[in-house]
Amino acid sequence: MIQFQQVSKSYPGGFDAIKNLSFEIPSGELVFLAGHSGAGKSTLLKLMAGIEKPTAGAVLLNGQNLARMSRASLPFVRRHIGLIFQDHKILYDRSVFDNVRLPLDIIGFDHQEGRRRVLAALDKVGLAGKEKLNPISLSGGEQQRLCIARAVVHRPSILLADEPTANLDRDYAHDILELFKSFHQVGVTLVISAHDESLMADYGRRILRLKNGQFTA
Amino acid sequence: MTAWFRSHLQAFTRSIGALVRQPIGSLLNLLVIGITAAFPLALWLIVNSVGQISQHISIEPQISIFMAPSAEPAQVSALQQQLKADPRIAKLTFTPKDEALKSLQGSFGNADLLAGLVDNPLPDAFVLQPKSVDPAALEALQKELSGHTGVEEVQLDAEWARRLARITQLGANVFEVVAGMLGAALVLITGNAIRMQILTRKDEIEVAKLIGATDAFIRRPFIHSALLQGILGGLVATGIVWGVIGHLNPAINALAQSYGQQFALQTPDLLTIAAVCGIVATLCLLGALLAVWRHLRQYR
Repeated sequence: MIQFQQVSKSYPGGFDAIKNLSFEIPSGELVFLAGHSGAGKSTLLKLMAGIEKPTAGAVLLNGQNLARMSRASLPFVRRHIGLIFQDHKILYDRSVFDNVRLPLDIIGFDHQEGRRRVLAALDKVGLAGKEKLNPISLSGGEQQRLCIARAVVHRPSILLADEPTANLDRDYAHDILELFKSFHQVGVTLVISAHDESLMADYGRRILRLKNGQFTA
Repeated sequence: MTAWFRSHLQAFTRSIGALVRQPIGSLLNLLVIGITAAFPLALWLIVNSVGQISQHISIEPQISIFMAPSAEPAQVSALQQQLKADPRIAKLTFTPKDEALKSLQGSFGNADLLAGLVDNPLPDAFVLQPKSVDPAALEALQKELSGHTGVEEVQLDAEWARRLARITQLGANVFEVVAGMLGAALVLITGNAIRMQILTRKDEIEVAKLIGATDAFIRRPFIHSALLQGILGGLVATGIVWGVIGHLNPAINALAQSYGQQFALQTPDLLTIAAVCGIVATLCLLGALLAVWRHLRQYR
């Protein structure tokens, strides 16, 4: 469960990215986050992952206040979260396999079991057989899938996706959202941001609409 | 536990791989570390070698009395009687001038050199060992003895041994200063090298941090890399010093032999090599920890 209690976030220089937001996302829900660029979607996701600290208020993840958490314990909270970044953050100095393998290395997974998990994750996102390639040779959509595989390989209970369908054509974007739906079906909590609301409408889920750091109706 | 061990093993093999993949850069880096460490090591070995000579020499004070060449035999024997009776003197040896000349001829091994001399230029001499080692008492005795008629010079022989001990002490102090400064330089050099490594792996560190890596996980490969560099750099340093001392020793030995002495600078032994590698590795580790700490500060 993700809880925001009167959360504000301002950046140095006086820019208020998030203004006094309170809401809850129960475990297992799939929520969309809509709004134009600059509305505060990325900041909201970063607050959920503990990447940013709120200026005021509290962000609670399964009842734990992220802001109060020590630097040493934060990594262990992050391991329950899968992150899909807007800019992918794929590492081009290693193979597709090793990119997906990274979260398991961090957790300290057994070699054989890790290998099995990586191949399963790649298979799930439709990149089976491409594990030996360098990510640079993948298409934009495939790189997005690689990013998803890396986010789910350690089976997190929460998946946060920042603009996963940006720069993809409509059919491809639909495939990606179907993929997310399948994670939702196995109980993962999902927060997916997008600036194109028309895609979300087909799914009939709760949509949080952000504008200038506040919710709109 | 096995996961921890495996990740260390992986970090270690990767740091060797990184070293081998950039042979020129790695070599230059090791040379910088080696040369920096070689300087204090060489100084330490020199101070140690000289210190050992001054330990062999007794710092027991000796007083040499040289009679004037014009001194009458009666004056000499009168002084000898007086010295024998003096309670402050523990041991007395008398070397008459004829004997001194003979021993000088013997040490030259060639009588022709001295054959040209009309008169014996050497004086009669006493060497005495006082009971006291107190510098003030010795100086008083030296003064008193110089006042005797027929005495030309009285030398306190412990002086040069003490001077050597002081020079060794000064050398040790210089070593401390140099070692301190170059030790700090080593920390900065490795810190900088590791900072470069961090920059080339900036993206990886960022992603790892975002998906739940602990600081220890991020630090691990850099620690291995720094320790490896430190140990290899220490070996380079001892290698350099070994080569330099090997090169200088024949000349030093020849010089010492011209004074009738045996002397050579020590080369580093196994224990020294191990100590140097250990110390250099520790300093490199410190540099790496500083560099990683500085970089990780920016992440939450």
